[in-house]
Amino acid sequence: MSDRALRIAVGVLALAGTGIAAYLTYTKYADATIACATGGCETVQDSEYAEILGLPVPVLGLVGYLAIFATAWFAGDTARVAGAALALGGLAFSVYLIFVQVFAIEAYCQWCLASDAVMALLAVATVARLRRPSAT
Amino acid sequence: MARRKKQARVPVAPRATTRQQSAPLLTRRRVLVVAVIAAAVAVGLVGASILSARGDGDGGGGGGGETAAIAGGPDVELLLEDIPQEGAVLGEDDAPVTLVEYADLQCPFCADWALQTFPVLVADYVRDGRLRIEFRGLSFIGEDSEEALRAALAAGEQGKLWNVVDLVYTNQGAENSGWVTDDFLRAVGAAVPGLDADRMMDARDAAEVTAAMEEAAAAAQSDGVSGTPSFLLGPTGGDLEPLAVSSLGPEEFRAAIDELLGG
Repeated sequence: MSDRALRIAVGVLALAGTGIAAYLTYTKYADATIACATGGCETVQDSEYAEILGLPVPVLGLVGYLAIFATAWFAGDTARVAGAALALGGLAFSVYLIFVQVFAIEAYCQWCLASDAVMALLAVATVARLRRPSAT
Repeated sequence: MARRKKQARVPVAPRATTRQQSAPLLTRRRVLVVAVIAAAVAVGLVGASILSARGDGDGGGGGGGETAAIAGGPDVELLLEDIPQEGAVLGEDDAPVTLVEYADLQCPFCADWALQTFPVLVADYVRDGRLRIEFRGLSFIGEDSEEALRAALAAGEQGKLWNVVDLVYTNQGAENSGWVTDDFLRAVGAAVPGLDADRMMDARDAAEVTAAMEEAAAAAQSDGVSGTPSFLLGPTGGDLEPLAVSSLGPEEFRAAIDELLGG
């Protein structure tokens, strides 16, 4: 896979993550009901883990995905390193959040899990980008 | 270009044929940079999350002994002490006048009424047996409304609904901000003398509580309640009429109650 293809993959995945985070941010601030097949979305969203120092977790996700999207925009080494670092950091945080859902909140939020999956794919794609020779 | 021995032995370096190959990206230094930044991001987020959740949970332990700071405990106790409560009704059964309040525990105007007017009515009419007040809790604002309402109704089984209601209003948080946590409710329960807070917490999901909520919601619909707080007033056991007030201060309530008592 060329760097170009990986950049497109990272961009698309980051947009998917942005969409999920934006939806959850919207439901948080508009107090809209979350479409939730797993049934635990509201519980998760209203839990004490749903905010970090006053900032809702979906907002953090939004910022993170947009930042990763920005790294896909550029071909340079700095962008690749930043993309991989952000995605791996995000993945570690996602794993932590899964643990929180399983052991602390004991409820699951399908959107959060979908976001975790996207972040895992992003980690793979951004690390793959690191291994490619530079296009320029 | 200086060639290394190793490269010289390999006849073709396929990737280097068409383009000038840049330095390989997966050097040890780059891996280190990525790992350090990723670890910093993860540790920062996880650490902040744990600290943040601890702060919210006030101690974190699920024991129930720890209490968040709940204001107004002694005042509410003083206000309601020795007044009979049965379920959602405050006051003597044979009080001649009944006031019904439809309220949402998250609604700020309900809190205004609870803090300004309710104490006046309790002191002047309920305490001497002339008025009984019935609480009909609604939960249309959001999840925090329902959480708080369930706790209040559960406390009603121990004759302490009004104490919990008043303390929730005194410590009301921003709408749907997730302020009604288990720790908050436990702390409210602990601030009510004579209330078994653990029992209240356990009874929140009881069928009786759910039934009471549904009953109040149905009554609100049939009474045409369109907002909170809404009031019905009338002779106990008789027809209760909607009480339209222009302000939530005690004056209009007094006037309406006095009229019923005098008539």
